[in-house]
Amino acid sequence: MKNDRKRTFLLITLPILALFVVFNTVPLIRGVIYSFTNFKGFGSYDWLGFQNYIDLFQDSRVGGSYLFTFKLAIVATIVTNVIALILALGLNSKIRAKGFFRGMYFIPNVLGALVVGYIFRYLFTYILPAFGQAIGSETLSGSMLSNVNLAWVAIVIVCAWQAIAMNTIIYISGLQTVPEDIYEAGALDGATGWKKFRHLTFPLIMPFFTINMVLCVKNFLMVFDQIMSMTQGGPSQSTESISYLIYNNGVSGGQFGFQSANAVIFFIVIVAISAAQMSASSKKEEQL
Amino acid sequence: MKSKGINKTNKPAMILLILGLSTIIFPLYMAIVIAFKQPSEMTNDISGILSLPKNWSFSNFAQAMEVTDFWRSLGNSLMITIVTVVLCMLIHSLMGYAIGRNRAHSKFYKFVYLFVVSGMFVPFAILMMPLAKQTAEMGLANWAGVIILYVVFYMPMNVLLYSGYLVNIPVALEEAARVDGASTWRTYWSIIFPIMKPMHATVAIITALAVWNDVMTPLIIMAGTGQNTLPLAQLNFQTQFGTNYNLAFASYLLALLPILIFYVICQKQIMNGVVNGAVK
Amino acid sequence: MRRKGRKNLSLLLAAAMGSTVLLSGCGDPYDGKTHIEIINYKQEATEYFDALEDEFNATHDDIHLTIDSPNDASTILRTRFIREDYPDIIGIGGDINYSYYIDAEILADVSDYPGLADIKQSYLDIGEALEIVPTEGTYGVPYAANAAGVLYNRDMFEEHGWEIPTTWDELIALCEEIQAEGILPLEFGFLDRWTCLAPWNALAVDLAPSDVCKQVNRGETTFTEEYREAAEKYIQLIEYGPDDPVAYSYNDACTAFARGEAAMYPIGSYAVPQILSVNPDMNIDSFVMPGSNDPEENTLNSGIDLQFCVTAACPNKEAAYEVLDFLLQDDVVQQYITDQNSIPCKEGDFELASQLDGMMEYIESGNMTDYQDHYYPSEMAVDGQLQTFVQSKDVDAFLERFDREWPRYNRDIIRTTEEYEAEHSSSAE
Repeated sequence: MKNDRKRTFLLITLPILALFVVFNTVPLIRGVIYSFTNFKGFGSYDWLGFQNYIDLFQDSRVGGSYLFTFKLAIVATIVTNVIALILALGLNSKIRAKGFFRGMYFIPNVLGALVVGYIFRYLFTYILPAFGQAIGSETLSGSMLSNVNLAWVAIVIVCAWQAIAMNTIIYISGLQTVPEDIYEAGALDGATGWKKFRHLTFPLIMPFFTINMVLCVKNFLMVFDQIMSMTQGGPSQSTESISYLIYNNGVSGGQFGFQSANAVIFFIVIVAISAAQMSASSKKEEQL
Repeated sequence: MKSKGINKTNKPAMILLILGLSTIIFPLYMAIVIAFKQPSEMTNDISGILSLPKNWSFSNFAQAMEVTDFWRSLGNSLMITIVTVVLCMLIHSLMGYAIGRNRAHSKFYKFVYLFVVSGMFVPFAILMMPLAKQTAEMGLANWAGVIILYVVFYMPMNVLLYSGYLVNIPVALEEAARVDGASTWRTYWSIIFPIMKPMHATVAIITALAVWNDVMTPLIIMAGTGQNTLPLAQLNFQTQFGTNYNLAFASYLLALLPILIFYVICQKQIMNGVVNGAVK
Repeated sequence: MRRKGRKNLSLLLAAAMGSTVLLSGCGDPYDGKTHIEIINYKQEATEYFDALEDEFNATHDDIHLTIDSPNDASTILRTRFIREDYPDIIGIGGDINYSYYIDAEILADVSDYPGLADIKQSYLDIGEALEIVPTEGTYGVPYAANAAGVLYNRDMFEEHGWEIPTTWDELIALCEEIQAEGILPLEFGFLDRWTCLAPWNALAVDLAPSDVCKQVNRGETTFTEEYREAAEKYIQLIEYGPDDPVAYSYNDACTAFARGEAAMYPIGSYAVPQILSVNPDMNIDSFVMPGSNDPEENTLNSGIDLQFCVTAACPNKEAAYEVLDFLLQDDVVQQYITDQNSIPCKEGDFELASQLDGMMEYIESGNMTDYQDHYYPSEMAVDGQLQTFVQSKDVDAFLERFDREWPRYNRDIIRTTEEYEAEHSSSAE
């Protein structure tokens, strides 16, 4: 009987594990192997040793893509979380038509990022400049997407527009775990407004804050669809995200080997960040 | 101050929320009015673009359906999403079960658990180029390959969810069935699988949303096969739309419509599912 | 009952697997006919090739032809090559990808194809020059060429009595004159990066040696030296365009030019169908970009826009040749060049579109030079560098970056060239 149970578990685990290895571990290893070659994706190739990695650190385009991606991830994470927290407080307060508001605010999250990108590209190219001219703003009367200094802001806006929905819902579920009597006790001590939020609410929803940070950073670092639909990396390669560069130059640009090296570095960076985040958040939760 | 009027609505919050709502509605409103207009109605000034169309014509939609081969892309998207979700629920829950029941006392299962879950940190970027080659070598450069890849990609997340949920299900439930002579396999399907229903809903929602909206995987695997998913079709027909933004927007709306309908019907479940998935 | 659960699951899995097999290998859909698949990168000619495909299949019993003209064909071709899933014939431009494909031995030698005899030697030479190291074989059948210069609004020019410039100074004077009348002299749509290359190429062929890239590869010169004048004039030209040229796409620029919002549009002849689709009555002509003040130095920027290459993996070369014969029939070629406003690579009496009138002299005399960008590796993204340049207007930085990045992106080519040279010179001794 006991053996039957053991065997069943093994029979379940092994094939599924094999599937995982074949389509996740094996390509990962192959990617690492390609990173040491000058493979174009077709034809023959030579072994380069660490040449790709050496080039990688001297390549201004790769450097630019890391700068852009991190700038985007950090700014978008902050913007998203601040707005989502405010929204969540609003949606959790005593308002009418709560269900309707929550439903509406969640819509962006279910829409596909690519199509959302296309809609916003039009908005940034045609609507916003017209608006900018109307109010006489020099910077806004041109298209944000063609402005080297502003295109990344446009991407941040669109990324945040979609991500806010998700974070808001998570904050709301966090706020609902805060018992009402804590506020009542706090009110007696004179805690209102910002003070109440800072000292009562926020510490209690800290775990949800951590979740949102982790979710945001991870998603934004992988940004691809929005770049594909809005700027294709332009203007002047100022909005090339790491994923986009790997796809664009690796698959269609003949840098299969070189971009594999880039992907390996990206992988290491993601693992390092995730590890750091996890150890930081577990420390923080211990403190609380 | 607030504790005074417990039943009063919070007016400033209401006003802010209504104002904020415009940022959600405006892009969608713009997409809708443009999609219903004819190119001749699109004057160069902003009012010409944003005013309501003179007559609401569906001709752009009909044309967009034809240009992008809408029904076939929709069919592909639906099929890929549904098959993926069903397979994920079956396969990942089984894996979660095997791991969840053994992780605590078996080194092997603990290793498998960590191994699979650490797959979450592998960015698609590093896998895509080798996968493009590998799926082709295996004859899987088609929707079936896309489905298999999804089942593998979402495995770390879903196994984490299932095995976490399983901790709350007492082993005693299974033991009772075992006494009746049922095998582990059968016990799973008759007792454990149905009990995990809330987690199935979460997994199904998260997986479905992610799969439905994904562009990268089909882009890498199916490009050049003549097959499209709904989002991929928008990408592939960009040049066909040209400067006919009315046609383009009609197509975008068509691509957004199925998920919006799904959302309106299952709004509660979707929100709960998404929160569950993230919080757990 | 006992095994119902397991059965259900295995049925489901079996169904999923079964349908996979069904879809991936659905037998022989062509009734035993030889199947020839063409992937053609001229997406704008989709309708034309669709009609051609039907015509071919209606008249041929032994061969079934499919022609695909997908969006972003170069990515699709690359992806298919990565998958080692080769079409029989590919329709590509004469650019560096062609060089790579020859180098990777993806393409078959078609020097035994009889139809080559009818192709103009000048275009065969352009094709040969694209080979990284000279080869014995011929790997492409040039089909159509395009030319890049300046398109102009003929009616507008006649109305204002403007003259076609033949030197750089005349061009600048003309732009000043047009601007003085409150009309935008030049249209640009640099949001689509590749369009940045059109005026660049047109200027560079006048002002730099045609084989500058190969010279640099041999270490004989630098781009800073050869491209400085072109870069300076490029920026000078941009000044006469819209305030923010990077804000508009190719489509936007074509539409604006078609609506008479600008007098001239420095772009290739391939843009004409797009412009006419917006304004079918528009009277367009073109002239050769006068990059130099010496009219003798000015040359028409023309290269192979479409050539057909048979892949080495094609199992039935005879059938592929039959398809090529069909494509190279005079009336088919004529139809294509009319449709696409291009220049035939085949010898013969073809009628060229009126929009090429201003370039006829150069075409007939063969005073043509291939696009510089046909030698640029696509991953180096010179188009993106030009876009940056348009916005920064920093000539030195642009040239410095060009020289700095070139050796790295061309490392393999330079090495192959060196190896070839070494071998070649030693065997000559």
